[in-house]
Amino acid sequence: MANQRVLPQSKETLLQNYNKRLKDDIKSIMDNFTEIVKTAKIEDETQVSRPTQAEQDHYEMHVRAANIVRAGESLMKLVSDLKQFLILNDFPSVNDAISQQNQQLRALQDECDKKLTSLRDEIAVDLYELEEEYYSSSYSQWSSTDLPLCEAYRRRDSWASPDSSSSSTQDDREEADRTPSQEANAQHHVNGHGTTATEKP
Amino acid sequence: MANERLRILEDVEKDIAVVLQCAGNIVLELSKDKHNASFLDRQLVQFQTSISRVENELGAQIRYLTQVATGQPHEGSTYSTRKDCQMSLNRAEYAKVKLGELGRTCEAMLEQQQQI
Repeated sequence: MANQRVLPQSKETLLQNYNKRLKDDIKSIMDNFTEIVKTAKIEDETQVSRPTQAEQDHYEMHVRAANIVRAGESLMKLVSDLKQFLILNDFPSVNDAISQQNQQLRALQDECDKKLTSLRDEIAVDLYELEEEYYSSSYSQWSSTDLPLCEAYRRRDSWASPDSSSSSTQDDREEADRTPSQEANAQHHVNGHGTTATEKP
Repeated sequence: MANERLRILEDVEKDIAVVLQCAGNIVLELSKDKHNASFLDRQLVQFQTSISRVENELGAQIRYLTQVATGQPHEGSTYSTRKDCQMSLNRAEYAKVKLGELGRTCEAMLEQQQQI
């Protein structure tokens, strides 16, 4: 609790310091400039001789000009500090920036996933044909436990309609026995993440 | 909103430079034997305008920060969405690689068949 009370006070002190610096620098610029303009006025009566007065005025103007430049540089430093403070502590704008960035990233992710999904849909048909061709050729070395995509779809269709073919009722029973593992393997293979026994020639 | 405030501070920096420039021009003109009164007036008006703008803008920014600033650090981040987006791009890249392999395999088979 003591720490929590300290931090806001330091922020408040910092901001009061910024205010003070702003007012001091503006006052310094205005006062020094006004004095330079006043000093520029040539007076007829002087307390010292003219050359001495001129030399004094010259030196004074140098000092005041240097003060104006110093105050200007101090103002630039103040602006830099304010920028830093703003970036770190302006929560509304930080929240806005974060939500905007999140929105852009989500939009990009959605677009990417949408394109991948459409690509998957397009390729699924071609892949089906390719697999059918490949696994029916002499090059394939797949085992009975690892179904290719075309075979998996064929068997799934036959499971979906058991009355459609009566010629393989025994096969169906065997298939029904193997259904959980085969379907799991088929699903595993269909998803494309399974390790297959097929090797490329 | 953040960019707007930072842009305002950039303009304030330019105004500070204008203040110093105008002060220098006025002193330079006063150092001449014959002064150009209209030039002096213009520079003086610009000097006063710029310095009051600097004071007002910086005061407004400090008042805004007084209302908005807390003592706590900001803990928001875009890490999770950035990670999800990166994963999505990785998926796309992986699909691209696999399609490339598939394409090369098909071309190799076709060439083999043509040779036979």
